[in-house]
Amino acid sequence: MGNLTKEQIQDRIREEAKKALATGEVSCVVGWTKTRFPDKTKPFFAYTDAECDLLVWNEYCINSTAKYALDDRYPEQKIGLITRGCDSRALNRMLKDNQLKRENLYIIGVVCDGKENPVCDGCQHKNPLTYDVLIGEPVEETINEKRFTEVEAFEKLSADEKYEYWAKQYDKCIHCYACRNACPACNCVECYADQYRVGWQGKAADREQNQVYGLTRVFHVGDRCIECGECERVCPMHLPIMRQTKKMLKDINDLFGNYECGLPDDSKPVLGEYKLEDPDEFM
Amino acid sequence: MYLAKKDLEKALQTLSQKAVVFAPILETIEDKVSDAKTVEKKFMPYFDGAEVALEGFNTVKPPKDVLFPNVEKMYKYKTGAGAYIMELLPEDSQKIIFGIRPCDMRSIDSMDKVFLTKDYVDSYYAKRRENVTIVAFGCLEPSRTCFCDSMGLDPNQAPTADLMMNVAADSEFTICNDCGTKVLTDDGKYILTPQTEKGKALLEQLKELLSDGGESYQDTKCSLHIVKAENLDEKLSKMFEHPIWEKVTKGCIGCGTCTFVCPTCYCFDIDNENHGAEGCKYRCWDSCMFSDYTRMAGGANPRPTKKERLRNRYLHKLEFFNERYGETLCVGCGRCIESCPAHLDISDFIEKASLVEIDASDYSEANYSEGRM
Repeated sequence: MGNLTKEQIQDRIREEAKKALATGEVSCVVGWTKTRFPDKTKPFFAYTDAECDLLVWNEYCINSTAKYALDDRYPEQKIGLITRGCDSRALNRMLKDNQLKRENLYIIGVVCDGKENPVCDGCQHKNPLTYDVLIGEPVEETINEKRFTEVEAFEKLSADEKYEYWAKQYDKCIHCYACRNACPACNCVECYADQYRVGWQGKAADREQNQVYGLTRVFHVGDRCIECGECERVCPMHLPIMRQTKKMLKDINDLFGNYECGLPDDSKPVLGEYKLEDPDEFM
Repeated sequence: MYLAKKDLEKALQTLSQKAVVFAPILETIEDKVSDAKTVEKKFMPYFDGAEVALEGFNTVKPPKDVLFPNVEKMYKYKTGAGAYIMELLPEDSQKIIFGIRPCDMRSIDSMDKVFLTKDYVDSYYAKRRENVTIVAFGCLEPSRTCFCDSMGLDPNQAPTADLMMNVAADSEFTICNDCGTKVLTDDGKYILTPQTEKGKALLEQLKELLSDGGESYQDTKCSLHIVKAENLDEKLSKMFEHPIWEKVTKGCIGCGTCTFVCPTCYCFDIDNENHGAEGCKYRCWDSCMFSDYTRMAGGANPRPTKKERLRNRYLHKLEFFNERYGETLCVGCGRCIESCPAHLDISDFIEKASLVEIDASDYSEANYSEGRM
């Protein structure tokens, strides 16, 4: 839980946000504020001290803040971001993908205590991995032994069972692209699905086109997924989208050894580089 | 006239003999590898054994696709030898939307205005509309995002439905184990009030199941009561460049969720699907939240960012539609508030826009976020 209470963290967040704005180098600080529903917060952009006092920290701060850094790829001033472990990995993702420049970010890291979000149960990085200032004492991380349990069970089903399951799920899909827009690995300047005059992706929300989108998404995100679970959280039709990316990651782990994305090292995406010792049984 | 709750299934079976009956049904997708089965309440054709859930919260998606399908083939064609063009009008089958809520009924009134008035009749919509009979159900327990009564509706009444259905005034309720909401006890009654000739014809089909008498329950109130300026549409018409837009649109992630769960969003795109010399032209729902919605040939885009797109969506709901049709296009169903990934809230915007000064030079959330509920 770290050494600070929720209230103390909230006070520190407001204080650090004000300090950042006071330097004149940071245009605004992205965090969360309350909504009219006690169990919902919303992403919030604080530009003034009075707005900094609206920033909150509680178990409902579930939206990722990192992706908002892409709203302005060439900012005149730094963008301040309240950053949990998952947000920091999302930022690392976008930094490694050359979509963001580190010098344009001011990262206020917060040691996270887990949120009201099922994905937090499997969290392996409560401590932010990248930050300019850190709020809270780093805690000991836990390894999620069940990281691939569900995928392993699903793999054992027959091809027909798997197809039926996903076909029903994609019948529900409304083609809203919330999973894409929330995903830190979906950071292309222009998505293939938006180039729809080219004909990669049909616009109709039917089983066929929804599945084309689902498959393209998972292979594209494949080795760059940071397992933040935003895709699944934002899905208005509650599709178990993470099961697909987890399958990709599990296969990558099986083939290339222990692999996790969003770490602050200079490793390349595993499918994007070539090593002599890579498995090549398919050749 | 009333229908006993225990006869509801029989009533739906009777109606299903002459028409396809779309009712709010719980659909379960089993997951063989975890206990987490997904249950979705949606309008779908009634079948024997369907788990109909008239009461409880409204469906995640509105039943607008019965009249305005997500994907609709318009005509097919062939080029070269044996070339032809064949129009594909909807088939002539009778449909009943059973258990639509007052907000969604009002949405259909708005779609009627769009597709059937102002000198242009959309033949696809018209054909479907003609063959649809609508049975509305007065809400029992609004969800926490419901604010239709702030938008001038009554959650107990849908005056334009063919048949109005409410629970009886002396009803007793219990809490549903599965969904946690208020439902009528098994010995409860539904009061049926015909409001059109089509509605009377439905009652005629059900007459063996009906008994005389009974008064309807009219006491449901929305959960959210919001501040809404009178003449908000006129006020907004002077606020196109207002600093509020920059701020309230910041959190938007630019997905199409709000437009696809909205019962009144009716925009569509037209595209073709070609296989060799044959193909078909179809239309499908489009979303003004997407970049390609306004992108022109050559790449210019008059609504380049989420600020312009969300502004357009809010203004369409609250100003432009009023200017053209004399009514607001937001019916207060609350679906977009519940589903928005970024937790944006149109009712919150309505309040803020109602409270701000038209010619304010700056806008800060700090002045508008305290003490509202």
